[in-house]
Amino acid sequence: MRFLKYWRYPAEWPILRVDDRLLLIIAGAIVGTSSGLAAVALNRSLVWMLDSLLAYRHFWWSFLLPAGGAALSALFLEKIVKEGAGHGVPEVIYSVSRRGGLLRFRSSYSRLISSALTIGSGGSAGPEAPVVMSGAAIGSSIARLFSLNERQRITLVGCGAAGAISSIFNAPIAGLVFTVEVVLGEWTALNIVPIAIASVAGTQISRILQGNQIAFAHHLFRVDLLDSAATVGLAAFTAAASILLTWALRRSHGVSTQLPAPLWLRAAIGGTVVGLIGYFFPVVIGEGYHWIQEMIEGAFVSGFGLALLLVFAKITATAFTLGWGGSGGIFGPCLVIGSLVGLTYHRLLEILWPSAGWIDGGCFALLGMAGLISGMLQAPLTGIFLISEITGGYGVILPLIIVSALSTTICQFLEPASFYLKELVERGQLLRPGTDGRVLADLSVSELIEKDCIAVQPNMLLGDLITIVQKSHRNYFPVEDAATGVFVGMVMLDDIRPYLFNPGMYHAVLLGQIMKTGIETVHPDDDLPEILERMDANHLYSMPVVANERFLGMISKATLLDRYRKELKVQTTLQ
Amino acid sequence: MDIRLFHVFRNTPLGRETLLQSIHFCKTVGTSLLIYIPKHTKFLMYFENDVVQVNLDSSYLAAPQSARRHAQELAEAGGIVPSFLDPKHFTTSTLPDVPIHFDFMCCPRSTSVLQSKSGLGNAGPRLRRIVKAARFAVLMTSEAYREWQRIAVFFGGSANAVKALRLGLRMSQKTGCPLEIFTQVERGDEKAYRSIVAKAGLERAVAEQVRQWRFFKEGRFEENLYEVPHDALLIVGAFGHGVVRDFVFGSMMEKIQSIMPNNFLIAGPNYTAAS
Repeated sequence: MRFLKYWRYPAEWPILRVDDRLLLIIAGAIVGTSSGLAAVALNRSLVWMLDSLLAYRHFWWSFLLPAGGAALSALFLEKIVKEGAGHGVPEVIYSVSRRGGLLRFRSSYSRLISSALTIGSGGSAGPEAPVVMSGAAIGSSIARLFSLNERQRITLVGCGAAGAISSIFNAPIAGLVFTVEVVLGEWTALNIVPIAIASVAGTQISRILQGNQIAFAHHLFRVDLLDSAATVGLAAFTAAASILLTWALRRSHGVSTQLPAPLWLRAAIGGTVVGLIGYFFPVVIGEGYHWIQEMIEGAFVSGFGLALLLVFAKITATAFTLGWGGSGGIFGPCLVIGSLVGLTYHRLLEILWPSAGWIDGGCFALLGMAGLISGMLQAPLTGIFLISEITGGYGVILPLIIVSALSTTICQFLEPASFYLKELVERGQLLRPGTDGRVLADLSVSELIEKDCIAVQPNMLLGDLITIVQKSHRNYFPVEDAATGVFVGMVMLDDIRPYLFNPGMYHAVLLGQIMKTGIETVHPDDDLPEILERMDANHLYSMPVVANERFLGMISKATLLDRYRKELKVQTTLQ
Repeated sequence: MDIRLFHVFRNTPLGRETLLQSIHFCKTVGTSLLIYIPKHTKFLMYFENDVVQVNLDSSYLAAPQSARRHAQELAEAGGIVPSFLDPKHFTTSTLPDVPIHFDFMCCPRSTSVLQSKSGLGNAGPRLRRIVKAARFAVLMTSEAYREWQRIAVFFGGSANAVKALRLGLRMSQKTGCPLEIFTQVERGDEKAYRSIVAKAGLERAVAEQVRQWRFFKEGRFEENLYEVPHDALLIVGAFGHGVVRDFVFGSMMEKIQSIMPNNFLIAGPNYTAAS
């Protein structure tokens, strides 16, 4: 039994306790490998599903296939694993932001299955966000197994996300950059090494099992100054498409939740709309990566009008897939929409200035992808590195940087929070490390209560209080009902000052006569930012903490500042 | 600090029985009552090193317009002024996070197991994980309201059993209810168990407060449970181990729950008494 106990608690293995950094590197490699495997599993499932359903695509009723997949996906999430729909990345960011990286184990497989059903049947979504969720949950579970602390657990969540993105795109730098830029929101020496290791592990797994393939290989583009200048306009186009896609996804979700129907039925309705659009424009079906390849190679034949129509069709299909209860991520649709936007822009340039000698439309499709990813995620580095890696070179790096940076800037100006963060920001739950909100969120009222206050009763004489004041170093005295112990008010030193030098009043004034009633109190469950706002609004330096009508202690700005500094040091100092 | 019992209210006759049980507990022990009226069929509890999703059946969402009034009326009739929990944080829009900073949590048997299985004594993996991770004690109520007049601690000699004994002693002190200890002798003799208590520094408290310490030297544990008073609040220390181990070796908690109709209080491995 002792032997079994030893294996049950890997956290206690001496070899792993030699050095915390070593432990994180080893755990990071395990997490990266596992999340890489999860990504490969999803990729294979998608290929299998798409191949299996291909034979049915020519039937008239094939438009119902996405409806069936989305309904099954919703049923699986809601009834079997009891999780909500959606892509899950905000959940991962919330967990990192507020819950020390704690994620449910079931999330490590639930989104893989649900998104395989949605995307494999033809829903317009990508597999990347589900694998991020899966990898992050694997990281969180492994951190629990090793009994790691909060910061280490967050790092392993990051490792999971990095391993998954690296594996699914065969892009280790993009995985690393996405994790620190979008998921964690911080670069520190503590987390960068394990995340890099996880990215490498995830990529290696993908290369071993699927071969070292570049997702969208292309011929060399020679970008001249005129083309580079034109990318400024492309950035505006991609930013507009990003804003439109974000709006469509949120609006679509809002409309669907108003519908008095179960989730599976809503997902089926959304899927039917996608199926109908896909009947006329097959580009909207599934993740659509082979269409991207065609666009980059210049084999995608469409004029300006059709390309523009396809942009709207894909945005609508994505909104009906993800907003109505289907499962999947926005990376895939962003790449397709981005390349379509790039192509549309190229066609427009050719119409306006036909003799300018523009570069191939494929180059604009490639740049459009970077612009849309950067705009949607408001993460320019992710856009730049992802597109560089999945297209196999840094030949177009200069215009890539211009499009990504400008698209992000325009989107930030119009919509301050990215698609992933918008909901969290609106709920006030995006707390990045080292920020005021995060420091305050990690402190609680119960940690700050000063309990050395001496309680008095309303029927006590002023003289009795004077005796207490001599012993106490406090300026505040809570008044409690003698019979019930209920908190009824406060006596402050300022209140007794007028009587202090008049001993004749010592036996004439009762504390009930001079105490302040109806004063502002706080509850132990109140949030510190809210308490501080109330203190500022009422010009208070301390407030009584009261629960169930009982006085528990005082909370003061001085104690809060002291603990705040300590917490800030913990969060910003390397461990 | 304010000692609180957390109760998830269900606006049904069965839910009323459970709330009455919680009210009785609060009145007897002197704790305040924190009621949560769910608006979704699931919620999350984030512990230090684990996150547990509690799934409720749809009856917990029954008649939401009268739920708060019913809960308030029941509590006030029992002489308790309840407070109501309105979750501030959500992991997803339909998945609220319930705080864990309370001292007791009332966990109706139907919360932890399927309704159809509630009579079979399967505590369920959810409850097991709550017990394993929580710093509070879990109160499992009987199906119908029954007041308890005394306290019975099951003491098997483990570290968690010592925690349960400490909790029992504290509860007895607070409520004035007589305390009894029940031990199924499995290793050594009575002396072995008494020496564990002495090592834990509880010898004097046990001598002063415990009315009776019964050792079952013969017979199966399940059969000996007949000797436990029907009007006692049972206190058990639970290890909170996994399904496999329980399947192979059995679980004391499961046995007691399946056989005894009493209310019982479970102290897990992370339980830290505040009361």
